[in-house]
Amino acid sequence: MSEMWLNMGPQHPMTHGLWNLRVKIDGEMILDCDPEMGYLHRGIEKISEDRHYNEVITLMDRCCYVAGLAWEHLYILAAEQALHVTPPERADYIRAMCDEFQRIASHLMWYAAFVQDLGLMSPFLYGMRDRDLVLDLFQSFTGARMTYEYQRVGGVRSDLPAGFTDRARKVLDWLDERYVEYDRLCLGSTIFRERCDDLGKLTARDCIATGVTGPMLRSAGLKRDLRKDRPYSIYKQLDFDVAVADAADVTARYLVRMEEMRQSSRMLRQILDWLDHHPGPVLADRLPRWLGAPYAPQGREGYLLKRNYPKGLGFSSVEEPHGEAQAYVVNEGGEHPYRVKFRSPVFANISAARHYLVGYHVADIPPIMGSVDVCVGEVDR
Amino acid sequence: MQPDDVARALSTRLGDRLLGVETFVGTAGRVRFRADAALDTFHSVHDELGFRHLSMVGGIDWVDHREVFYVVWSDDVRQYLILSADLPADAAHIESATPVWESANWHERETWELVDITFDHHPDLRHLLMPDGYVFHPLLRSFKLHEPEELEVKQRSV
Repeated sequence: MSEMWLNMGPQHPMTHGLWNLRVKIDGEMILDCDPEMGYLHRGIEKISEDRHYNEVITLMDRCCYVAGLAWEHLYILAAEQALHVTPPERADYIRAMCDEFQRIASHLMWYAAFVQDLGLMSPFLYGMRDRDLVLDLFQSFTGARMTYEYQRVGGVRSDLPAGFTDRARKVLDWLDERYVEYDRLCLGSTIFRERCDDLGKLTARDCIATGVTGPMLRSAGLKRDLRKDRPYSIYKQLDFDVAVADAADVTARYLVRMEEMRQSSRMLRQILDWLDHHPGPVLADRLPRWLGAPYAPQGREGYLLKRNYPKGLGFSSVEEPHGEAQAYVVNEGGEHPYRVKFRSPVFANISAARHYLVGYHVADIPPIMGSVDVCVGEVDR
Repeated sequence: MQPDDVARALSTRLGDRLLGVETFVGTAGRVRFRADAALDTFHSVHDELGFRHLSMVGGIDWVDHREVFYVVWSDDVRQYLILSADLPADAAHIESATPVWESANWHERETWELVDITFDHHPDLRHLLMPDGYVFHPLLRSFKLHEPEELEVKQRSV
């Protein structure tokens, strides 16, 4: 018997980002594991204390680089509560649209990376190709493909360009046909099924004990989705189903994410219809001027109004593509937030690694960790 | 669940160690408890109120004291509850929540290294995001990002 600790990372094809999975192995069997994080720690919470409220949005795109708009929404919801600001309804709809398109883009990125881990090259190319269509849409109204800086305290930066909803519907039509192809490529493949079935099991009980959320939790049969259970923004108005699966293995996580993309398409069609028929402002008109650009372009003078602004606490929780993300914003009346704290869903999902890795083989690690959908940017912040 | 319901359920076990339950928009309330009642509070909230999912643990440095807060979720009432305790700055320590919620493990490691709050009886209190042997606690207010004069330079035309 020879037990040893093996480092998988910080640079390793399995990791998708910069982190180190230390596994204790005996031959091919995994006996224990210890994820080491922090290689991507940029101190986003600390830097936020030194920024104006709207400047923190820039950091949010860097926080999770595959779901920037969802993280902007998360922070904005908490900041608006702390600052006592209400956005116009159209801005809420646009943000929800961003969320759902971002979910599709993020899941497509996951799909591409996950199947590549399994050695399937063509689905990887299809996934990346279709994700680019969503990024094209983002580019048309934010000007960027990855770091959007689009949402603002009190609304969003600008309204959607003319003809956007029709272009978006075309992309959705295209994607709806592609989901069928994805399933045929993966679920129809014996290699895929034999690789992924009964792998990386994590029961609902362990999910709750370890704080696991998102597609991993729903793949264990628990029907929990903040968009249904605690509807934020405009999700109460939307008609959709929560994607669940029972097997709690890698295949189940695949099924949940695929169904989530379909449900996102369904929601997006409702949102796009609403946007077509309800023009209006996208920024609140009664905003404190010190919030910064574009409200106080003259520079310092606007900040003077900040005195005596009421203090406040903000807490928000959104169903981000990876799971439940939370933000806690403390407004102590200064120009900057006093404290910003974020909860990353992947942080909790990785911390449970012992529960879904131990007992499997070393060669099972890439598909299992692939099915977790790791985004190190939001774990380390 | 309303803050009053939470207060009623917790006060039997905690007595005057429960300092109050405040209204917090979007949650079932914000429970303020004395740090020496930590384990009792956790057990009550988990077993009796049914908040079985710990979402996050965080710390705030208020300079004269520190605050540690917990966000928990219940699948029964589908609500969040926030627990918060004040700790003295010179002896900031509290009982670990890991016996009640296993997920507290990493969150407490992070809070310890960033905000310098020690969690007693934590099974594995070592660095998570910072390198081993790192002696600073970056999220303390005394840890300056810039010197004041650099902050003056930062005020640019936007």
